[in-house]
Amino acid sequence: MSVRIEKGVVYLEGRCMAEDAELLLVAIQENPQMRVDIASMLRAHMAVVQVLIAFRPTIVGEASDKFLSRHVFGPLFLGDKMPKPA
Amino acid sequence: MDELLEQFLIESRDLIAAASRDFASLARNPHGTGSIDSAFRAIHTLKGSVAIFDMGPAEQVLHAAEDILERARKGTAELDAATVASLVACLDQVDRWVDEIEKAGALLPQASDLAGQLVSGLTEASPSTPAAGSIAEAANETWVADLLAREAAALAGPNQSLTAFRYTPDADCFFRGDDPLTVVAAVPDLLSLAILPVQGKWPVAADFEPFVCLSVLEGISAAPRDKVAAAFRLMPDQVAFAVLDQSSEQAIGQNSEHEVRGNRILRVDSERVDALGDALGELLVALNGVAPLADHAATFDRSLAGRIRSVQADLERAASDLRTSVNAVRAVRLEPTLRRVPRLVREIAESLGKTVHFEITGQDIEIDKQIADGLFEPLLHLVRNAIDHGIECGNEREACGKPMVGRVSLDFHREGDAVLALLRDDGAGMDPERIRKVASERGVLSPEAAEALSDAAALRLIFAPGFSTAETVTELSGRGVGMNAVETAVEALRGTIGVESALGAGTTITMRFPANALTQRLLVIEAGGERYGISLDQIVETVGVDNDRLLPVGSGFACVLHGRTVPVLSLAGLLGARDRDQAIAKLVVTRSGGEAVALRVDGFGERIDTLVRRPTGLLASVPGVTGSALLADGGVLLVLDLPELAA
Amino acid sequence: MPVTVLIVDDSKLARIVAGKALAELQPEWKKIEASGADEAIEKLKSETADIALIDFNMEPRDGLELASELRALRPDMPIAIITANIQDEIIARARQVGAAFVAKPVTADALEGFLSGAALRLRSQQN
Repeated sequence: MSVRIEKGVVYLEGRCMAEDAELLLVAIQENPQMRVDIASMLRAHMAVVQVLIAFRPTIVGEASDKFLSRHVFGPLFLGDKMPKPA
Repeated sequence: MDELLEQFLIESRDLIAAASRDFASLARNPHGTGSIDSAFRAIHTLKGSVAIFDMGPAEQVLHAAEDILERARKGTAELDAATVASLVACLDQVDRWVDEIEKAGALLPQASDLAGQLVSGLTEASPSTPAAGSIAEAANETWVADLLAREAAALAGPNQSLTAFRYTPDADCFFRGDDPLTVVAAVPDLLSLAILPVQGKWPVAADFEPFVCLSVLEGISAAPRDKVAAAFRLMPDQVAFAVLDQSSEQAIGQNSEHEVRGNRILRVDSERVDALGDALGELLVALNGVAPLADHAATFDRSLAGRIRSVQADLERAASDLRTSVNAVRAVRLEPTLRRVPRLVREIAESLGKTVHFEITGQDIEIDKQIADGLFEPLLHLVRNAIDHGIECGNEREACGKPMVGRVSLDFHREGDAVLALLRDDGAGMDPERIRKVASERGVLSPEAAEALSDAAALRLIFAPGFSTAETVTELSGRGVGMNAVETAVEALRGTIGVESALGAGTTITMRFPANALTQRLLVIEAGGERYGISLDQIVETVGVDNDRLLPVGSGFACVLHGRTVPVLSLAGLLGARDRDQAIAKLVVTRSGGEAVALRVDGFGERIDTLVRRPTGLLASVPGVTGSALLADGGVLLVLDLPELAA
Repeated sequence: MPVTVLIVDDSKLARIVAGKALAELQPEWKKIEASGADEAIEKLKSETADIALIDFNMEPRDGLELASELRALRPDMPIAIITANIQDEIIARARQVGAAFVAKPVTADALEGFLSGAALRLRSQQN
């Protein structure tokens, strides 16, 4: 499993594929305060990233993938470019 | 005809011709941006024009073609040879539809099926499909400005050319196996990326579909557009690009220049130009009457005569300038006459299962309108012959070591006052021996006469009535009336036609037409007590020979000129009158069916430069008369067609 | 959910590479291998497959020909064409048969998007 939920934290681990977006979405729906830990995440599918960008949970850790860290999660941390959450 | 329709026919054919030229150059170089832009504009305008009429299928096809060109222009999808070929097929069909509208006022019922086929042909041939293209294009105008505002900081670096992209993945792309992030990760030199909600804002959690792509990805790369586009090769229809430099302003500048030039062309009804020509002809004839008037005045008042001559000189100068101008107005470019030829070549070749590379040069040469109008039919016949009988089948060509694709070219040249047309093919060529054999078998001439002919003269037998070299009579090239009809049509335009051929290497047909047909130079001759005009174009030479050099041959006479035996006919006899007995026979030598023929006349008169009117009324049915000319004294001169009389 | 992937490639090496990438992404999924179009069709008579991974460059019938034959048999099957060199003409043909592309050599990264989508499709078919 690439999505593990433990004590108010969603751990995204390894390769997060499209299917994982559903679990992530459900977890955030159930608890909007849910934090998301990406420290062990190797890859993330657009479906997963799109949930994170739309709901902007607090992100813990840093993506090891250079592309994700620079172009996707960098901006998420800075919060300067993304529209306000719905 | 309805004025709107008339204008449509003119403009749509202009646009089709313009697009054809661009497609031809794109076929050689699919990346020629000038041709892409120009083809796009022509197709776009044409689409607007067909929308005025009940031509839905044409609009549909043009819309699809425009789409492809639009993407090629923007760099989101490159043109390739297959796409260009599909575009040509679309344009050919639209051309046929314009013909249908002209003939019947409506498209045939199968038009919409054809349109469907063409559009899917285009879509298949094109590396891009239209699917979501419209989304990307519609947003095109504003997204660049928004992106520039948002990314101002990222753009503040060194002044370099940047490529911006906006990638709108299909909503169901996840299911197809696309991961838009992976796609974007492959964009080289990515400076900045933004993932935005495609709807403007993200749906609330309850409405959020986790497996639907709800995102638009916009970014800026320091790589050139083609490098960025390569990352989106599998989804060219989902992406739009903008190169962030000054090129868009240049494009606008070129456009406006194009508009200005277009307005300088004045379209005039050809009948008005003909009327202008007629009036000018009469003016020239009337001027011819001034000189005798001056002579008459001189008998009683030399000073009056001098003033008349001075006025005459002024009038003649002005008339001469006017004639030059009218000739220039009547002169039209060959191009409109020829613009349908490439399409017809494709159709003919296709129906015969042959592949032909066809090229025209010299379309910009100008020629009298009457000749341009009359040129199409004989030319088409010759082109058909070249493809049908000249060009061999592909495997036959290969066996001879020739390229599979046959070549046919049509070249026009200006040569003094004449326009020369050369139609060349690299086909099988013609065998003079076989032509001699066939001609004698078909009774065109005796076997002995056929043997006596030089090879060049034997080739000319193809123009003889009833001659056809084809073993099989094909649907296309008619039933043996072919080349004879062509020669007649060419001669009716005061042109001449010749043929050269090398067995195995191909055939060249040469036609020569006068460039300005408005006035003709005539030789006035006398025969049977009347005066007639003969066009100088038809006269090879005029000679006087001693009567005793005319040798009786059969029921007529012949004469040896320059070592060759030439039949001698009596012009008076042909016109139903009698020759005047003279010690010296006056002969006018002409060519009829390629052979020299001498016509005996009673006397040679002056040479005049005058307007020849086409025969009307009773005269129209008289064989051997090409028209009439007014003489200065008010008399009418019949102008004879010597080759027809001698045939 | 036992998912079976049909891997068709005339190179055994390539089949092993694809199998490893598959195992990395979906260790529980099973695979069937075939060395050509005919063998693939033959195997499908006795076994079932949910997803097909087909090499493009095969003789005598190329991967797209097999793909369109499979498409006729299984309209919903996720199919990917494996190729190193994606030409525009191939893209157009692949679109017609509804096949995705996976870059060659097949790595987990290259295969991920396709398998992700295939999993979604199989799930939606079951629902």
